[in-house]
Amino acid sequence: MVIVIIVVFLIIIAYDVQGFIRKKERASAVIIYLVLMGISLVVSVLLASGKRPSSPAQWIEAALKMVGVVK
Amino acid sequence: MEKTQISGIQLYLILLGFLFGSSVILTPALGAGRDAWLSMLIAGAAGSLLMWIYATIALLNPSKTLVEILRERMGRIAGTILSVLYIWYFIHLAALVFRNFGEFICTTTLVETPVAVVMGLFALVLLYAVNSGVEVMGRMSELLVILIPVVAFLISIALITAHDFTAFLPVLENGLSPVIHAAFVNLTFPFGEAVAFLMVFPHLNRMDNLKKVVISSTATSSALAIFVFARDLIALGSDLIARATFIPHLTSLLIPEFNVVPLVDINLLVGGGVKISVCIYAAAKGLSQVTGTHDYRSFSRAVITFCVVLAVWVYENTIEMFGWAEEIWPYYSIPFQIIIPLLLLLLSLRGKNKPSQPNTESTETESCTSDA
Repeated sequence: MVIVIIVVFLIIIAYDVQGFIRKKERASAVIIYLVLMGISLVVSVLLASGKRPSSPAQWIEAALKMVGVVK
Repeated sequence: MEKTQISGIQLYLILLGFLFGSSVILTPALGAGRDAWLSMLIAGAAGSLLMWIYATIALLNPSKTLVEILRERMGRIAGTILSVLYIWYFIHLAALVFRNFGEFICTTTLVETPVAVVMGLFALVLLYAVNSGVEVMGRMSELLVILIPVVAFLISIALITAHDFTAFLPVLENGLSPVIHAAFVNLTFPFGEAVAFLMVFPHLNRMDNLKKVVISSTATSSALAIFVFARDLIALGSDLIARATFIPHLTSLLIPEFNVVPLVDINLLVGGGVKISVCIYAAAKGLSQVTGTHDYRSFSRAVITFCVVLAVWVYENTIEMFGWAEEIWPYYSIPFQIIIPLLLLLLSLRGKNKPSQPNTESTETESCTSDA
């Protein structure tokens, strides 16, 4: 399963980066794209291997509790 | 600016689909119990005010998207930081709707299918819609959003014999406090979420119609939500409503002989689809404007992939999803939906005497369209 996920992501990234290079987009655009896809890939692999990292929902909840907005 | 334009009726229907969105399966004001209809009325009125604020911001900053308005009114650095936060918010919102959709389908219809597969397939269809542009999304809404009230009406007609109007009584049994809290929750979901439309409003072909369109769409959405809740309440009773997970689905199961569950699924596909499409479009467009990219489509695939992954990642189970939506989401949304837009409105009003330069490319498009 993990290998399938990695292969699918690599295909999508290769296809899109080719487009970025062809359109001569800025480096910042490529970096943001790669960051988004990189996070997606890492989280997907972790989820597929049964190691669920703490989620943004938990971070937001903890932050709101810390400032006292939510009890 | 992308050279696409939508008509008033198309914006009205996109907004209606967006506002109805996940409400097809979730009842945001349910915290008020049988008085939820009262919360919905209050939220509808407050929601109209919020929509008026968004429309006024758009009118005071003609042909500019939220990212451009933020950068112009708040300065380049603060504006870019806030834009990135908004992009995150749109991605998060799309992921939550994806999860709502996936949980519903996997709980009621495709019980053996993994939620990631259901959301992935839905994402493929929506990617096509987003990449086709706002115009296609508008035409798609013209065709499909009309199904939402039609299906709601058909199910109501089929249930006409199953009714108990005493389910509304007693009114305000627990006082006004739960009603006000539920109204606040309902204001942030779905009305405040329409802040994403600040990325879509510049595409309206006649901006003088904007306020009329958004207010009428909000009113229709509120009326429809109250109608559906009243139907569910008189058909199921307040005790069952308090314990049910997907209320309209449960109501549809009461219809003898016919299986109308696919109709509820269609409603969710349309409403949820419109909502996710708008959020993905807003996020991708925002990213393209922040990075100075020519085309938002360069980011749409990355954004939708991230949304699907986030949707799987964000909650462990359905109970956590409902709890978070009820307790955390409204407070988390306040800055995005109320505080920053109010600040933008004030800054835009202050700069009214010094109107900003409209986006020349889109102005040319508008004038070409009006000439035609």
